[in-house]
Amino acid sequence: MEMLYKALKRAIWLYASFRERLSPGWITKNSSRIKEWELMAYAYSKSPIGVVGGAIVFIMFILAVIGPFIAWEPYWEYKIVTLGEEYRYRAPCLPPGCSGEPILGTDEWGRDLLAMSLYGIRISFVISIVVVLLGAPLGIILGLLAGYKGGVVDEVIMRVTDVFLAFPGLVLAIAFASVLPQRIRGFLESNSIARAFFAALFGLRETEYGQIAALLSIWFAMVLVWWPGYTRVVRGSVLSVREMPFIEAAKLAGLSTWRILIKHILPNVISPVIVMMTFDIATATLFAAALSFLGLGPQEPVPELGFLISKAGQFFPERSAHVVLYLGALLLIMALGWNLLGDALRDILDPRTRRAIEYRLEKEKKR
Amino acid sequence: MGMGSFLARRVLTFIPTLIGVLLITYLIAYAIPADPVRAWVGEKLMNPQTLEQIKIKYKFNAPWYEQFSFLVHQLLTGELEDPVRHRNVFTEITSRFGVTVEVAIIGFIFLVAIGMPLGLLAAIFKDTPLDFAVRIMALVGSSLPSFVLYYFLILLLFVYTRTTYLAGIPEPTLACRTYVSSLPEFIPVLGHVASALGNVPMFAAMMCGELSVVGETFKRLYLPGLALGLLNGGFIARIVRNSLLDAFSAEFILYGKARGLRRISLWKHAFKNALVPLITVLGLNLGGLLSGAIIAETVFNIPGIGRYMYEAIMRLNFPVIIACTFLVAIVYVTINLVVDILYAVVDPRIRY
Amino acid sequence: MVKQYSLEEGVLLKVEDLVVKFYTYAGVVHAVSGVSFYVKEGETIALVGETGCGKTVTTRAITRLIESPGRIESGVALFRRRDGSIVDLLRVDEDVLRKIRGDEIAYVFQDPTSALDPLYTIGFHIYETMKAHRPAITKKVAFKKAIELLRQVLIPSPETRVKNYPHEMSGGMRQRSVIAISLSNLPRLLIADEPTTNLDVTIQAQILDLLKRLQVENKIGMILITHNLGIVAENADRVYIMYAGKIVEEGVTEQIFYNPQHPYTKLLLRAVPDPTKRVEKLEAIPGTIPSLIDPPPGCKFHPRCPFATEKCTREEPPFFNVEPQHRAACWLLERR
Repeated sequence: MEMLYKALKRAIWLYASFRERLSPGWITKNSSRIKEWELMAYAYSKSPIGVVGGAIVFIMFILAVIGPFIAWEPYWEYKIVTLGEEYRYRAPCLPPGCSGEPILGTDEWGRDLLAMSLYGIRISFVISIVVVLLGAPLGIILGLLAGYKGGVVDEVIMRVTDVFLAFPGLVLAIAFASVLPQRIRGFLESNSIARAFFAALFGLRETEYGQIAALLSIWFAMVLVWWPGYTRVVRGSVLSVREMPFIEAAKLAGLSTWRILIKHILPNVISPVIVMMTFDIATATLFAAALSFLGLGPQEPVPELGFLISKAGQFFPERSAHVVLYLGALLLIMALGWNLLGDALRDILDPRTRRAIEYRLEKEKKR
Repeated sequence: MGMGSFLARRVLTFIPTLIGVLLITYLIAYAIPADPVRAWVGEKLMNPQTLEQIKIKYKFNAPWYEQFSFLVHQLLTGELEDPVRHRNVFTEITSRFGVTVEVAIIGFIFLVAIGMPLGLLAAIFKDTPLDFAVRIMALVGSSLPSFVLYYFLILLLFVYTRTTYLAGIPEPTLACRTYVSSLPEFIPVLGHVASALGNVPMFAAMMCGELSVVGETFKRLYLPGLALGLLNGGFIARIVRNSLLDAFSAEFILYGKARGLRRISLWKHAFKNALVPLITVLGLNLGGLLSGAIIAETVFNIPGIGRYMYEAIMRLNFPVIIACTFLVAIVYVTINLVVDILYAVVDPRIRY
Repeated sequence: MVKQYSLEEGVLLKVEDLVVKFYTYAGVVHAVSGVSFYVKEGETIALVGETGCGKTVTTRAITRLIESPGRIESGVALFRRRDGSIVDLLRVDEDVLRKIRGDEIAYVFQDPTSALDPLYTIGFHIYETMKAHRPAITKKVAFKKAIELLRQVLIPSPETRVKNYPHEMSGGMRQRSVIAISLSNLPRLLIADEPTTNLDVTIQAQILDLLKRLQVENKIGMILITHNLGIVAENADRVYIMYAGKIVEEGVTEQIFYNPQHPYTKLLLRAVPDPTKRVEKLEAIPGTIPSLIDPPPGCKFHPRCPFATEKCTREEPPFFNVEPQHRAACWLLERR
């Protein structure tokens, strides 16, 4: 994947020249870091799993962004009302044998499944990413504090973490997601800016703010379930890093706690965390779909993927097999993309495998 | 040092965790809902008098500490009442919980049966297509939504055998159940434990020797069990593979070789060391199995706690959700305690 | 036809032309390039050299403890067994080799912490080492012997210590435990890799005395790997100086210390600080060991050698005899 490597290298150098303009001399100071990035880019471009995963994520990202705009059928129209009962759970109509009808069939309300899935991708994508992007930093910060400060702070944070971890994730999320909609619904009712914002974010209409409240409850419940994992992992890493001489040196040099945490400890514990986050996005995608499947998410007419599958379950397998299989495959691909990416990242961020690639690179250069 | 003090310390941490669980349950039950009365009562219409009675009974107008102690009392004495149907929630739960445990156990059996051999093979045939296939299986397994796999397996079953859904769960005879529930009377501590375990129909049947029930249970539950095993089996196989490879390449294995130990002794050393991370992972997965069981129940129509919670969610039956959450948490914490103890038995370094 | 080997009288182990290579992703590492040495019954030889010169690989290769990507390419390792028979360790059957390891040839690994299985007690380690070679032994007898061994290596309260796990002991105690394990079957040859680095000087002396006593009593041969020249002077009968996978000088201890011939040996000796003299700077040998992947032609030491000639950069020097039992591989000796 030469092209990919070249493209990534170009991106790295663009970033480097940008930083150079902000603070001259940046490139020389960070030349070894830049080299590491180039090595990582090379390792990534050589990993078929990583490239496939990255491609899937990229495609899903594009679909998530433009989905609601290019969907040819609005999700709020129940087609069976206009087109009749036979449009309910219509079987897939695949060319070349069939034409003129929705390619992948219709759902319970006669809506084109392919169009609905564009909305669904946006919803799943947004939820999974935001949950991890909010839950992880929260957990990381708490983990850094707990591991570094020790003592009472550590005890308190760990007790709270343990309590949250005492509940199996799904159960806790179910509990939270069943009580939150009331509150959030009230909040959205009164706050029009929030309403508009979240509607736009999920690609839905503002009138569905009740369903958006359900979505936000799922989201909130998931964040609450997600952060403890990071706290534990980060705390463990910090405990082993903080005894190292260079931390002591930083302390002696008089650096403030925050500076030490951010500039010295964090970079040393971040690699497994990044991998964890990538895998977690996949898990979050499935988790959100599962919560919707259980009925905790948005209801009609929002075409959330898990919800559509659960509705299809009633007519399964005689009439709605195609819905389950197609939407299931879609969820599978979305999660698989992130999992593949995470698997490749784990190998790339392991310095030992990078060394092996470095040697190979050097040898090839010599020839 | 040793096991004694470790056990004591470990059990002691149970208490603050328990308090924390109660606090969170309280948060969910009273603090978060915008209109808790409506939440508890459900969407049903009610005349103002009954509403007032409920408000007083559940202390909705009282300060938070009174609410908290009320809730704690209800939960710990097992007397949470469903205000709408006027039935004790806990009796409903305990019978169904055993079923969920059954599903989780059968899932665990499949998980180990699939994961361990695959992991062993992947370690032996490292870097071969088999190893790669296991890696892919782990990736796909963790990317597949569980409910989709369940439906898919049902589809296969339907296509090939045209069987319709089964309902219910095989139960041991009434005589057996009375026997098991009476055990606490003549055996002090173990009797209570046995009786609690007896809530799982399979275990009760085993205690009475009614093994046909066990067979029936497997026939009924093998499909969700197989699904659970397939979903997580690849992941477990990877863990087994990696910990085996790590253990075998350890310096003390080479030192054992240098001391002239036989192959079997070396394998014993390697396996015991590989066991340590494996127990951790399996323990962590148990929570996932419980959660997986919950979803499986809604698809396979199994009368366990998951289905109960699902119906409660559909009907906004709040007390049930609260009670279920609390109970599941308690069981989960207990399981984790057992896993930790097991861990300390295997690895002496933990006992500090 | 069974190959008959022969060893000179009194010689316990004789290694000839040992070559070990490692096939890594970075290239082929020539770890050991033709090493020959011998050990007599009851004598101690020292293998001296910097980290990475191949000392550990050499001693591990003797009993075929080298694992992929390492490969023992060629060489002979003749060993005289307890029953008098002579075998080539590099060619003997796997099950015969297993019986020799731990029973007739024992190792003391350099890092005792990673050598011990953290899930088993010290007593168990000793017990299983004994049981592997004396299947009839009982746990009771073995543990009694274990306590005795721990006492011998000067571990206090051995009765409690024998039930300790490795993480419950200090580094020094772990090191002594490993020595005890190696002595459990009274081996003929002891290969000790830095056996006393973590110990106090007093304990160090006592342990080495103990080993010497055992050697004399039981005619145990010992290969001592170290870079501590003080220990070499006190305990070794003969010395082999290694550099970059080859032996550059060998001789009786007095010869090496009083009449070093190879420039590397001379620099090594100069680097040892003399506590009675006052110096401005500590002597060090400039440069670092060469890469063993693409070794430079000629003498491996020539890039760092202050006396290197043009010939040194082209051809590898053979051994030149200096005195009886003393020889060195250096072109500077050619004239004599």
